[in-house]
Amino acid sequence: MLDKESQWLGKTYNKKNIQECISKIKDKFGQQFSDSKSIREQHSHTMTIHESELPDGVLFASNKNDVSDAVKICNDFRCPIIPFGVGSSFEGHVNAPFGGLSIDLNNMNEILNVYQDDLLVTVQPGVTREQLNTHLRDTGLFFPIDPGANASIGGMSSTRASGTNAVRYGTMKDNVVSIEAVMPNGEIIKTSNKAKKSSAGYDLTRILVGSEGTLGIITEITLKLYGIPEVIAGGRVSFTSIKDAADTVITTIQSGIPVARIELLDAIQVKACNLYSKLSLPEEPLLLFEFHGSKKSVEEQTELFGEIAKDFGGKNYEWTSNNEERNKLWKARHDAYWAARSYMPGTEMYSTDVCVPISKLSDCIVETVKDLEENDLVGPIASHAGDGNFHVAVMLDLNNKNEVSKLGPFLDRLSERAIKMDGTCTGEHGIGQGKRKYMYNELGNSVDVMEAIKKSFDPNLIMNPGKLFI
Amino acid sequence: MSVLEKELEVSDLNFDFNKKDAVTELTKEFGQQFSISKSVREQHTDTTTIHTSKLPDGVVFAENEIDVKKTVEICQKYKCPIIPFGVGSSLEGHVNALYGGISIDLNNMNKILHVSPEDGYAVVQPGVTREQLNVYLRDTGLFFPIDPGANASLGGMASTNASGTNAVRYGTMKDNVISLKCVMPNGEIVKTSNRAKKSSAGYDLTRLIVGSEGTLGIITEITIKLYGIPEVIAGGRVTFPSIKDATEAVIMVIQAGIPVARIELLDEEQVKACNNYSKLNLPEEPLLLLEFHGSESSVKEQSEFFSEIVSDFGGNNFESTSNNEERNKLWKARHDAYYATKSCKPDHEYIATDVCVPISKLSECIEKTQNDLTKYDLFGHIVGHVGDGNFHVQLMVDPKNDIEINNLNKFLDDLSKRAILLDGTCTGEHGIGQGKKQYLVEELGSSVNFMKNIKKALDPFNIMNPGKIF
Repeated sequence: MLDKESQWLGKTYNKKNIQECISKIKDKFGQQFSDSKSIREQHSHTMTIHESELPDGVLFASNKNDVSDAVKICNDFRCPIIPFGVGSSFEGHVNAPFGGLSIDLNNMNEILNVYQDDLLVTVQPGVTREQLNTHLRDTGLFFPIDPGANASIGGMSSTRASGTNAVRYGTMKDNVVSIEAVMPNGEIIKTSNKAKKSSAGYDLTRILVGSEGTLGIITEITLKLYGIPEVIAGGRVSFTSIKDAADTVITTIQSGIPVARIELLDAIQVKACNLYSKLSLPEEPLLLFEFHGSKKSVEEQTELFGEIAKDFGGKNYEWTSNNEERNKLWKARHDAYWAARSYMPGTEMYSTDVCVPISKLSDCIVETVKDLEENDLVGPIASHAGDGNFHVAVMLDLNNKNEVSKLGPFLDRLSERAIKMDGTCTGEHGIGQGKRKYMYNELGNSVDVMEAIKKSFDPNLIMNPGKLFI
Repeated sequence: MSVLEKELEVSDLNFDFNKKDAVTELTKEFGQQFSISKSVREQHTDTTTIHTSKLPDGVVFAENEIDVKKTVEICQKYKCPIIPFGVGSSLEGHVNALYGGISIDLNNMNKILHVSPEDGYAVVQPGVTREQLNVYLRDTGLFFPIDPGANASLGGMASTNASGTNAVRYGTMKDNVISLKCVMPNGEIVKTSNRAKKSSAGYDLTRLIVGSEGTLGIITEITIKLYGIPEVIAGGRVTFPSIKDATEAVIMVIQAGIPVARIELLDEEQVKACNNYSKLNLPEEPLLLLEFHGSESSVKEQSEFFSEIVSDFGGNNFESTSNNEERNKLWKARHDAYYATKSCKPDHEYIATDVCVPISKLSECIEKTQNDLTKYDLFGHIVGHVGDGNFHVQLMVDPKNDIEINNLNKFLDDLSKRAILLDGTCTGEHGIGQGKKQYLVEELGSSVNFMKNIKKALDPFNIMNPGKIF
C-alpha cells in the first residue's frame, strides 16, 4: 500500500485515487471483493526475501467480464492491477509495490474444450497443470510443461515457464497456441485462431507469454497437447566432474537422441538428497534422464545414451522402463526441492535461475560453485542441463545478517556471469522485481523497445507496475 | 490488372513522405552502392503476384550493418519509405514499393559468421540463403531444416515467419530463430536476446520481429537453430480414395506420436498434372508423400507403424524406401509440383496462395475449396503441408481476362474467409503483405489495433515497409 504517492517509469501513482478506485470496486463486486488483511497478505507473499507489499484489495474474478469491468474502473482511476494465480512465482511478480487491486483468477478454473483431433485444449487461466493432466487422463493425451510447482496455466504463460522436460517439449512460448486477454483499456482480444501455424500479423501470443502481467490479463489459453508416450524409460548415472556430465549432455543432444528430460544435480544437491530421501548415491554430479517413445526406440535411446555416458566416465549407470522403478531412480530429483530445504534446518531457501548456451554450462556451474564456497554460502544446484538452465537454492539463516548480506552480491555475480557467457539472468523464473537491474546489462537498448511497447499498450501504466522495468 | 487492387484502407498511420531529399542524400552517401536506374528498380519490386508493380525511387546495396543504419537514419530524417529486399521470392507483394521510397538490398550481407556445433546454432547475415547455409554446413553433420521451397534468404524467411514441408517436425522460423540483431526505425541497433536456449527475461522481441514483414526494423543478423543430419532419411508415398481419408490418416499418425518429418498432400488434379509433367503413372487419387528421419531401426519402425495406420483409412499402394535415389523418385511428384502446374498453361500467370486451419477442419476446407475452383471456373491445384493443416492453391490465370481475374478475386476472398471461419488463418506461411490486409482484420479483430500500437510506438513515421500488414 502506498503512503501517499510514488513513481514508476515517470508516472505517479496517487493513494487517494487508488482508494477511491478500490471503494468503487468494492461497491460493484460485493462478496467477490475483500480488503481483509489476511486475504491481502495471502496475495503478496513473494517466495523470496523481498518484503511483501500488500495490495489494497483483492477481487476474486469469476469470468472475463469481471476482469474487463475491473480493469476499466482501474484504468479510469489509474489504479495498479496485479494478476494472481497460485502465487508460486519466484521473483516477486505478485507483490503490490504501489498498492492497488490484486485480481485472483483461481475461480476461473474451467477446462473449456479438448480438441482431441487437433491436439489442443482451451482452458481458463486458473486451471493448474495437475488439474489439466488429471482431466486429460482418459484421452491418452497430456500437457508436458512441468515447472515443479502445481502452478496455474495463466501464471505459467505469464512467466514463460518451462521445467524438466522443456528439452523435448519446449517452453510455454512453444506450447501456447492462442490467448484471450483483457487489455489495459478493458478490451477483450484474441491473439490468434487455432491453426498450428500462422504468418498473419505480429505475434501477439508470444508478446503476452512472458510479459508477467504487465500488458494484459490472460482470460483464456489454448495449449498444445501430446500423446502420452507408449513407454517412458528413466535412469541415472554419476560423474566425477560437472564437465563430464555436461559434455555427456551436449553429445547426447548433438547425436539427435530425443531425450525427454535430462537433469543434473551437483554434489551438494546429491548429498542433500541422500540425507533427505535416505539414498546412498555417490556424492558426485548426477545425471537423471528420461526417454519417451515406443519400446524399441526407447531401448535404442537408452543404449546409445549409455555408451555416450561411458565415454565421459559415467558410473553406476542404471535405467528402467518400469514406472515404479523409474520413480525410485528419480527420487533424488523429485525430492530435490524438499531435500534442499531440509538440508540446513533453520535456514530459508532463496531459489534463483540462470541459463547459458549449453557449451558454457559446465564453466558457469563450476564458477558458481566456487563462488559459493569462497563466500561461505551453501547452495545446492539442480540443472535442466539439456537447456543450459540451472537453479541455485541458496540457504540462508535469516538471523545471520552477515550471511544475508552476501546474497545480493552473489546473485549479481551469478547473473553477470551468465550474461557474459551469452546467456540470460533468467531461463524460466522471469524478471519480476528481483532481476530488473540486470535487464540493461543483458539486453541493452532493446529494453527501451520493450518499454515503448508497454507504454503503447498501457499508457496509464496500471498493469503490474514495478515489475520488469526499473 | 488493377481489378485486383484493393483500395487502400483509410488508416491512422502516417503516409506523408518526402522521398526526393532522401534520394539526394543517399546518392551522396553511397555512390556506387546506390542505384536509381530503372532496370535495377524493376528488379526490386513485386514480381510474384498480379498486384501492379510499384517501383522504389532507388536501391541501396548494403554491405554491412553500418550501411543499413545509415540508410535508415537518412530515411528517418526525411520520412522516406524503406523496403528491405532479400531474394524477392515472397508471395504477397511484400517487396512492392507501394509509396515509392528506398529498397534496401541485403544480398551482399551474406556471410555465415559463426557456427557453434556444441550449442546447435549458426549466426548468419540476412542475405545468406538456406541452400548456401546447408552447403556450408555439410561437413559439420548439422543442417538447417526449414524449407519453404524457394531458395529464400534467411532474413526474408524470418521476416515472413516462413516454414514449409518439414515444419511438422522442425517447426517454423518462429521456433528456430534464437536471436536477432536489427536496425530499428530510429536507426538504433538492438539485439533481441542472448543465445541461451530459453529465456524468461522480458518481452519476446525475437518473435515480435519474426513475421513482422520488415515493418518494425531491418534484420542484420540472425542466430538460428541447427539440427544433426538424421542417420537415415526414409521416404514414402501412399494414395487414398478421398481427401477426407487422407487427412484422417494423418491426424491418427500425429496422435500416435509418429515423428514424421514431412507429410505432404497432393489433390487428384495436382497428381494428374504431375503424371503428365514428370511422366509418372500414379493413380489419380489424393496422394500423401512422407519422410521419416531417425536411426535405421526407428525409421523402419515409424514406416511400419505408418503403413498400418494408413491401411485402416483405405490407403493404397504404400511404398517406402531409405535409399536416397529411390526416395527422390517417390517424391518426384512433389518436387516438380510447381513446374507441373505451370506447364499446364504456359501462357498464363502462376498465382500461389495459402491458408491454414486446425487439422480436424482440413478436409472440409480443401473439399470446399475444390468445389469453388469448379464454381469459379478456375484452373488450380492443391498441395498441402497436411501435418500442419496448411495448404496452397496453385492457380494459373490469364491476366488479360477480366472475368477470370474477377473470379480469382472472389475465390481468394472466399478461401481466406473460409479458413478464418474454420478457426484458422488467412495465411499459414506466406504472410499478409499487401494482399491479405483486409483478412487480418477479419481474422483477429481488435487485436490488430494492438499490433498497430506497437507499429506506431516503434515507427511513428511509418517509414518501414508502409502499406504492408496494415
